Amino acid sequence: MVEFSWDVRSPLERVLVAGRHGAQGDAGVSLTEIRNFDLVQVMARRGQAGEMSAAAKASFGVVAPGTPRAVSTADATLIWSGPDQFFVLSKGGKHTMAALAPVFAGPASLSDQSHARVLISVSGDKARAMLAKVSSIDLHPDSFDVGAVATTSMDHTSVTLWRGSDRNGQAVFNLLVFATFAESLWHTILDSAAEYGVTIGHSEELA
Amino acid sequence: MRITCPFCGERELGEFTYLGDAKPQRPAADAGEDAVYDYVYLRDNIAGVMDENWYHGGGCRSWLKVTRNTLTHEISSVEPAAGAGARQVAK
Repeated sequence: MVEFSWDVRSPLERVLVAGRHGAQGDAGVSLTEIRNFDLVQVMARRGQAGEMSAAAKASFGVVAPGTPRAVSTADATLIWSGPDQFFVLSKGGKHTMAALAPVFAGPASLSDQSHARVLISVSGDKARAMLAKVSSIDLHPDSFDVGAVATTSMDHTSVTLWRGSDRNGQAVFNLLVFATFAESLWHTILDSAAEYGVTIGHSEELA
Repeated sequence: MRITCPFCGERELGEFTYLGDAKPQRPAADAGEDAVYDYVYLRDNIAGVMDENWYHGGGCRSWLKVTRNTLTHEISSVEPAAGAGARQVAK
């Protein structure tokens, strides 16, 4: 009888080495993997986008994003992920699949992505310079403000990119990437960031 | 070349995949062999403005109808294809 281990592990566990990497001096880029989050994709069923929005408003108290934006409540972030669909990102088990299923029963289909995505938070003085090497999105503050979202590609890998609240006066860019592509994208990001000096870590806290 | 996705905004060509002419309509089930052959195989080779289907696979994963001049690559309109998002499929 084969024994299986069902321990929850990060897809980046093999490659994420916490600490200081790359060029010496002040680190220009900070990479933090956020672990153990709840992520549910909500997609409106045919012709029921309005009903889905109403259900979201009733449950979260905010209007779900209908354009590429991220909207935060006290305990969840709603992130646009395509026309008539969005992610619910949260911690602490309050907005799991089981909790959201009755909320959206009827107007939307839900899909649990909690263990299907890796969440990487990028910040630092050189965060934009580093991301510019792997993304064609204009991340200038005038065109990508706090709450802006882009579903785009980096290194031929689909990502959901959004700008979180500033931390210590610095912009924070969050990346959701498919779990099985995360290791590959991680290497690319690390290569791009090395020249600026990188601080790597992981956290249980959503930015 | 850049395409302005109606959902995502202006994006580079690499995020999109070309399907082809948006004009052919699936014939009725009883339309006969010639109509089906035409629908499946025969395409006009247009030098000028044509409607095309493009897929924004590197972005919002929506099908788009792009009106493009094949001589100049000028894009005059981009709109969601029928049924993109939660829209009702056009009859």
